[in-house]
Amino acid sequence: MKYKLIKGIFSKKGDRIRRMKNGKDQKIRIRIRTEDIMLAPSIIVLIAVSIFPTIYLLYATFFNYMGSVDKPVYIGLENWIKIFKDMEVFNSWKVTLIYAFVSLTLETIIGVGIAVLLYTIPKARNIFLTLWMLPIFVAPIVTGLLGRFMLNSSYGLYAYLLNLIGIKRDLLGSTGSALLCVILMDVWEWTPLITIVVLAGLEAMPTAPLESAEVEGATYLQKVWYVMLPLASRSISVALLIRAMDVMRFFDAIFMSTAGGPADTTKIIGLRLYEVAFRFGDIGYAAVIGISMLIVTTLLGRIFVKLWYSGGGEYSA
Amino acid sequence: MNKKRIIVWFTIMSLIISVVMIGYITSNGNLPKVEASQSKGEKIGPFKPVSGLPPITGPANFNWRQYAGVTLNFISENTPPSSALAANIKEFEKATGIKVNIQQMDLGSLVQKVTLDFVAKSGRFQVIYADPYQVLAPHYQHFVDLNKFNKDPNLPHVPGGLSDFIPSQLQACGYMGNTSKLYALPYDCPTMVLAYRKDIIAKIKNDFIKEKGFDPTPGPNMTWEQYYEVAKYINEHAKELGVKYGTGHQAKQYDSLMCDFSNILAAWGGDYFEKKDLGYIGSSNPGKCIINSKQGIEAAKFYKKLLDIAHPGSKSWDWNGLAEAFAAGEIALAPEWHEFASMFENPQKSKVVGKVGWSVLPKGPVRSANIYGGTGVGINAHASEKEQKAAWLFLIWATSPQSQLMILQSPVGGETPTRKSVYNYPTVKKAMEDPTSPEAKKMPNLIAMKATLQAWEKENVYMRPKIPQWTQVDTIVFTELSKMLAGVKTPEQAMNDIKRAVDVVTKQNK
Repeated sequence: MKYKLIKGIFSKKGDRIRRMKNGKDQKIRIRIRTEDIMLAPSIIVLIAVSIFPTIYLLYATFFNYMGSVDKPVYIGLENWIKIFKDMEVFNSWKVTLIYAFVSLTLETIIGVGIAVLLYTIPKARNIFLTLWMLPIFVAPIVTGLLGRFMLNSSYGLYAYLLNLIGIKRDLLGSTGSALLCVILMDVWEWTPLITIVVLAGLEAMPTAPLESAEVEGATYLQKVWYVMLPLASRSISVALLIRAMDVMRFFDAIFMSTAGGPADTTKIIGLRLYEVAFRFGDIGYAAVIGISMLIVTTLLGRIFVKLWYSGGGEYSA
Repeated sequence: MNKKRIIVWFTIMSLIISVVMIGYITSNGNLPKVEASQSKGEKIGPFKPVSGLPPITGPANFNWRQYAGVTLNFISENTPPSSALAANIKEFEKATGIKVNIQQMDLGSLVQKVTLDFVAKSGRFQVIYADPYQVLAPHYQHFVDLNKFNKDPNLPHVPGGLSDFIPSQLQACGYMGNTSKLYALPYDCPTMVLAYRKDIIAKIKNDFIKEKGFDPTPGPNMTWEQYYEVAKYINEHAKELGVKYGTGHQAKQYDSLMCDFSNILAAWGGDYFEKKDLGYIGSSNPGKCIINSKQGIEAAKFYKKLLDIAHPGSKSWDWNGLAEAFAAGEIALAPEWHEFASMFENPQKSKVVGKVGWSVLPKGPVRSANIYGGTGVGINAHASEKEQKAAWLFLIWATSPQSQLMILQSPVGGETPTRKSVYNYPTVKKAMEDPTSPEAKKMPNLIAMKATLQAWEKENVYMRPKIPQWTQVDTIVFTELSKMLAGVKTPEQAMNDIKRAVDVVTKQNK
């Protein structure tokens, strides 16, 4: 029998009652199932470590903490209005978008290319893959230090090599090259992640379409373009999703290598947030910047998830 | 013998005995006079005293091990004195039974961690490296008033007394707003002076004098305009001189850029705020920002001009990067913190050992200005009473003349002392007087000390403003300066933008 809840009525004992179509009321017993009990700890932890801080973050946006962190002053929507007028934050978003777009493009092209190459080499794939994967195991803060070391104009190897071909500028100290340098650091470290995800997709790919293409006399490039890449498109969008969300939070390597300079050319939004929160002590405004990052990251995630669902390369084993 | 003769004889004998005794005491190791710190009823503590320096003493019945078992966390910038203390911490731990964890990091991370600790009132770091500008000024309410311990008759007191510290450094590192409360004791004292290559200057001297008409040797009479000419001349003859550039600077978009620029700003007679002498005791109300004054803009123009001929690496170097480049022999002149002297004289780290001379920074139209960057150590007010008292014992030991001497001589670090008595110590005096002496080789930081002592003179030293909002002001200043150096803004625009942003920040915090 189907019940339609017409009106939530509670009896004196607190039981929920549903009124049926025929006008009679029926008690509904609220059952706590075993799975609810088992899920409860994780939900409690989630509320404690994720939901409560997010709500508190939202609450903090309405206060000015600069006078005293203990006694913040209520300022209404002032911090929210400020973010739309703040050219420094606007500039940081601009740098972040350039940084994200260029690094994701390079990482996708190189990562997918290497994945296809590794997929097609007949021998020693694991050795090459392990070597290619090594940068992932380096902490981002070490990547920044390494980049600074290699590009140091006094003793850096890259600086020395560039000097040999007549490039004498200090790469991390010049506005024209600093952003490119930190992008390349990101590409060096995270391209292997794209490779491993795409390679996993290629490995799971059915062999029949490839064999058919071979029978039809397709060249290697045609097989890659018309068979392998379409079939791996879902893995590519997953890899992009992970990296796109990660790139928004990128901080360590830039902090260690350029600290946002010169002239703010590498000050991505994460660095701006750090500066506002920990150097300016403006926790309320930093919370607004943090929420804006959350919104952008969520939107990006939604776009890539949509791409994933609409991906033409769906296949079944 | 009549009564009168007995009195005369007694007086004469007393005088002779006194003279002999004073002669014996002062001739014993040629010890300097030090302020008597061992008052009545005081007993020397469990630390081996160094003759000639005020000893660490405590009340006669004081139990130095009463805080045994307490663990102290000392958060410090990764500076030479902390490395030297860490290498010798067993001496303190053995004497007191107090365990000390010394955590070293860059200044930015330290400021962040200390701020969070104060906000949370956790007292996780009981002993704090209290940078006067970025830690003490904004958070002085979170520090213990050390007078409470120093005046307590049941506790040991500062060896040698507070008057043994260099007065201006005690003011800058110890107080905030007024001198009623003492928040920290001076711990280190880096000051910016000019490091230069003696060999390069000697090579160019004759030709340079013929061509330009003045001596290129840096000294108190050199002006910044002359410095520019020398740097440019070395650039033009770089290949034959074996260096890459004449001058190098710490102009990375960081605190170091503000420090480097402040030397020029003050030399041109400019400053950050209208209220004078903010650098010593400090103030919460600095008044309006005056960096865009005529002097400020002229200083900015000169700084831009100077950086245009400097080593291109300058824009990505902080003080460490600059020191590495100088030690690698890439530049001939560098305004640098004097504590890097030991690095330049270390054959494992430097190619310019024995070739480095030191001088006060050149003069601008108004004066020579050498920025002071010393720091104190203080106690976290949120630590427990027991931890605070244990931390007080640590402070007494760490800032004592004998520890300062140990730090100065340490092969791990090497930092110049904050104590007058150490500068009067015979071997230290000798090393300062003769940079080629074996004593100077043992304490290479003292090679730069003659110039540094000159830099500390009131007319030469520059103390940056000590205000609660300094961290924000500092960030605004170095960000705008970086834009100016990159050519994104003109000197006028950069100075006006700094003024606008700083005035907003100082008003917000009122």
